[in-house]
Amino acid sequence: MLQAYWYITKMKLLTNLTYRFEVFTSVATNLILMLASVFLWQTAYKGGAGSAEALSLQDITTYTILSITISTIFVCDVQNTVYYKIREGQIVTDFYRPIPLLACYLAEDIGEMFSSLLNRALPLVVFASIFFGIPWPSSFQNFLIFLPSCLLSYAILWLLSALVGLIAFWVMELGNMGNVKDSIVRVLSGSIVPLWFFPESVQTISKFLPFQYTYQTPLGIYIGNTSITEALTSMAVQAAWIAILYLILAAGWARTKKKTLIQGG
Amino acid sequence: MDAVIEVKDLVKEYIIVKKESGLRGSIKSLLFPKKTKFNGVNGISFSISPGEIVGYIGPNGAGKSTTIKMLTGILHPTAGSIKVCGISPQADRKAVVRKLGVVFGQRTQLYWDLRLGESFELLRRIYQIDQVSYEENLAVLTDVLKLHDFMNTPVRQLSLGQRMRGDIAASMLHSPSVLFLDEPTIGLDADAKHAIRNFIKEINRTRGVTVILTTHDLDDVEQLCSRIIVVNNGKIVEDGPIGSIIHKLTPHRMLVVELQEPCQDLTTPHATVIKQEGLKIWYQFEKESISASELIAALSQKLPIQDISVKEPNVEDAIREVYKTTATV
Amino acid sequence: MVSTIKHYVSVASCWARLAIQRQLEYPLFLFSWLLMIPIQYFSGIWMLKIIVDRFQALNGWDFPQLTFLYGLGLISHGIFVVFFINTWSIDHMVINGGFDRLLLRPMNVFFQLVASYVNFIGLIDCIPGIIIFVYGAEIAGFEWSLVNIGKLILVLIGGILIRAALFTSLGTIAFWTKRNGSMVGFALTMLERATMYPLSMYPYFLQALFTFLIPIGFISFYPAAEFLHADSGGIDLPLSFALWTPVVGIICFLIAGGIFKFGMKNYESAGS
Repeated sequence: MLQAYWYITKMKLLTNLTYRFEVFTSVATNLILMLASVFLWQTAYKGGAGSAEALSLQDITTYTILSITISTIFVCDVQNTVYYKIREGQIVTDFYRPIPLLACYLAEDIGEMFSSLLNRALPLVVFASIFFGIPWPSSFQNFLIFLPSCLLSYAILWLLSALVGLIAFWVMELGNMGNVKDSIVRVLSGSIVPLWFFPESVQTISKFLPFQYTYQTPLGIYIGNTSITEALTSMAVQAAWIAILYLILAAGWARTKKKTLIQGG
Repeated sequence: MDAVIEVKDLVKEYIIVKKESGLRGSIKSLLFPKKTKFNGVNGISFSISPGEIVGYIGPNGAGKSTTIKMLTGILHPTAGSIKVCGISPQADRKAVVRKLGVVFGQRTQLYWDLRLGESFELLRRIYQIDQVSYEENLAVLTDVLKLHDFMNTPVRQLSLGQRMRGDIAASMLHSPSVLFLDEPTIGLDADAKHAIRNFIKEINRTRGVTVILTTHDLDDVEQLCSRIIVVNNGKIVEDGPIGSIIHKLTPHRMLVVELQEPCQDLTTPHATVIKQEGLKIWYQFEKESISASELIAALSQKLPIQDISVKEPNVEDAIREVYKTTATV
Repeated sequence: MVSTIKHYVSVASCWARLAIQRQLEYPLFLFSWLLMIPIQYFSGIWMLKIIVDRFQALNGWDFPQLTFLYGLGLISHGIFVVFFINTWSIDHMVINGGFDRLLLRPMNVFFQLVASYVNFIGLIDCIPGIIIFVYGAEIAGFEWSLVNIGKLILVLIGGILIRAALFTSLGTIAFWTKRNGSMVGFALTMLERATMYPLSMYPYFLQALFTFLIPIGFISFYPAAEFLHADSGGIDLPLSFALWTPVVGIICFLIAGGIFKFGMKNYESAGS
C-alpha cells in the first residue's frame, strides 16, 4: 500500500524536474517578493526607528526570507486539484481508485514538496544569502525544534486546503474558494507582517484561530523570538488544531462521498 | 480566362534543430544547436481556373498544409510567387483574405464561447458585409446546411457534424470566390458527409466558387473533384483530370469470378490471377488489351462460372500507385 | 481612414457587447473573486498602516501618501486587466496556432488579439482601488481641480499603455521560443511592487532600472510623487510627470507594437 503512495510521490517529483522554465519563473517571482519585502523592512527600520523592537532588522530579514522559502515548500495543490476536477466532472472516476482519494492527493503534494525543496527553496536561500547574508537560525537547538514545527504547520495548511476543496463539492458555483482562504491565511498567519506588530485586539483573536500557528509559530522559533517553553506550547496547539481539522475533514469527507456517489458526480 | 490561383516555383524551407538525448545532449543542443535545412515545399507550380473543384492530395508530410497556408497568407514562402485573384497574399494579406473562405477540419474558426449566430454576427462586421447580402447568404446557408436547430447553441457545445456545418457556413458568409477546405469531412458520419458534399457541389454550380479540397478521404475526391493534384515530398507528382490520372496510373480492371466447383487450371493468357479465396478468384486485366465481356467469354469456356462482377479501379488504387512509385526516403 | 476607424470600432463594440453577455451568464462564479480581491488589497493597505504606525514614514512617504500611491497603482492595474487581458495569452496562442485564425481575417492581428475579450471581471479589481485611492486623496489633501483630474486621466492612460507594452513584449518572446513559458506571474509581482509601493525604497540601481529601462516607475510612483510633492527617490526629472507618463506610455506601446509585428513576421516565416 505504501508502495503505491511512494510511486505517486515519485512520479510527481520526476514530472516536476522537467518543468524547468516554470520553476525558473516561480523562483524569480518569489525572489522579487523577498527582495521587495526586505527592502521595505529596511526602509521601516531606517535611522534607528526600530531599535526598541523585540525584533531587530536582522531578525525580520531572516523571518521574511524563511517565510517565503517555506511558502514554496508548503504545497497544497489539493484545493485546486479538487476544485478543477469537480468543475470538469472528473472527480467521480477518481473515487473508484483502490486507494483513498485524499491520501492520493496528499502523496502528490508531498512529491511536489520534495521537488520544491530542491527546485525552489534551495535557490531562494542561496540568492537570499548573496543579497542579505546567510539567514542563520538563532541557535542550533531552535533549528531542531523549528523543523517538526514546520511539519505541523504543513499539516494544518494541508488540512485547511482539503477542507476548502471539500466546500467545492457543495458550492462549486461560487468559484474557487481556495483563493479566499489563501488571502486570509496570507495576512493572519503572520507570513508577511508578523502578528506581534499587529494591534493587541487582533493578536488576541488570532490566538483562537489556526492561522498564526502555520507561519508565525515555526518562524518565531527559528529567529529565537520564542522561548523553548513557549515553542513547545505552540507546537501543542498546532497538534490540537491538526486533530480538530482532521476530525472535521473526516466527517465532511464521509458525507460528501455519500452525496457524490448517490448523485453520480 | 484569368487563373484565379497561380503558383510558380513555390519553395518553403524549414530549419530543423536536431535535439540530442541525454543530459549532455540537451546542454549541447542548447549551446550549439545543430540546424539542418529541409524543403517542405520544393518547387511547386500550378494554376487553377475559376469554377474548378480541385483535390489537393498527398501523404502526410508531403507539403499539402504548408502550401495551403502559403496560399492563404498564413505562411510566407521562401521562394516563388503566389497570386490569388491576382493579388499576392504576402503583399496584401487583408485584400486576399476578403476573397477567401477557409475551413480547417481540425480547428474551428468559430468563436468558442459565443453562440453560433453571434459568431456570424461578428463575422458580418469583420468582413464588412452589407446587410442585404448578409441576410440573403445567412438565410440560404441556414437552410441548406440546416442550422436552425443550433443557431443559439454555444459553439463549444456543438457536435462535430454541427460544428463543421457551422464552420462551412461561416466561411461562405462573405461570398468568397475561393473556398479552401482542409479535411472538411473528417470524423463525420455518412449523412453529414453527404450533406456537405452536396453543399459544395451546389455552391460551385450556382455561384461558381472555386474549391480547393485537401483531404485523405478519397470518396470526397471522387465525388467532388474534376481535377486532382497529387503532391509528394514537396513536389507535384500528378496534375490533371481525375479520370485520366486514374486511367494512367491504374490502367487495369478487376474481374471477380465465383466458381460452381473447384478447378485446377485457372490460368488464362489475357489476365493474371491476383487472389484466390476458396471458389472466388480475382483476375486483373489490362483495359487496353481486352474488354470485360471478351474475358468473361474466354473464361467461361474453361471454367464453370457461378457469378461474375467487374471492379473499376478508383482513386484510392491510383493514389496507392503514386505512393508506391514515389516512395519517401 | 475614417471608414477604417468606423470598421474597427464596430467590431470592437460587438466583441465588448458579447463579452458582457457571456460574463453575466454565470455571475455566481464571481463570488469567490468578489471576496478575495477586497480582502487581499484592503489587508495590504492595512499592513502598510501597521508598519508606518509602528515604525516611521517610509522614505518620507506617510500613510496618506502611501494610500494614494497604492490606490492609484491598483486602479491602473484594474483598468488594464479589463481591456488588455488577452496580452497574457499570447504564448498560448502561438503554441496552439490561434494566430492562424486571426491571419485569415481582413483586420490587424494585434487589434483582434486585444479587442476580442473585454474582461469586465477586472472591474472587481478597480473597486477597492478606487475606494483606497479616493480615501488616500482625501487624507493626503489632494486637490480635485479640473487640471488635476485631467492630469490623472493622462497618467492612467499612460500607465495602461506601459503595462500593455510590457506584457505584449513578454508574450512576443513566444514567437521565437515557441514554448509555453509564462512570465505573466513574474511581471505582475514586479508591477505590484513597483507601482503600489514607493520606488524610492529600493536600491538605486533598481530605481534606475524601473525609470530608464523598464519604465514602470512612471505608471504611478512618479506621478504620485508629483501630485503630492513627495520624495521621488534619487531620480529627478524635469517638467511635470503627468506629461511624461502618457508620452512614455505611447513610446513603449509603439515599441511593443513593433516587436509584435516583428514576431508575427517570424511566425509567418517559420510556421508553428
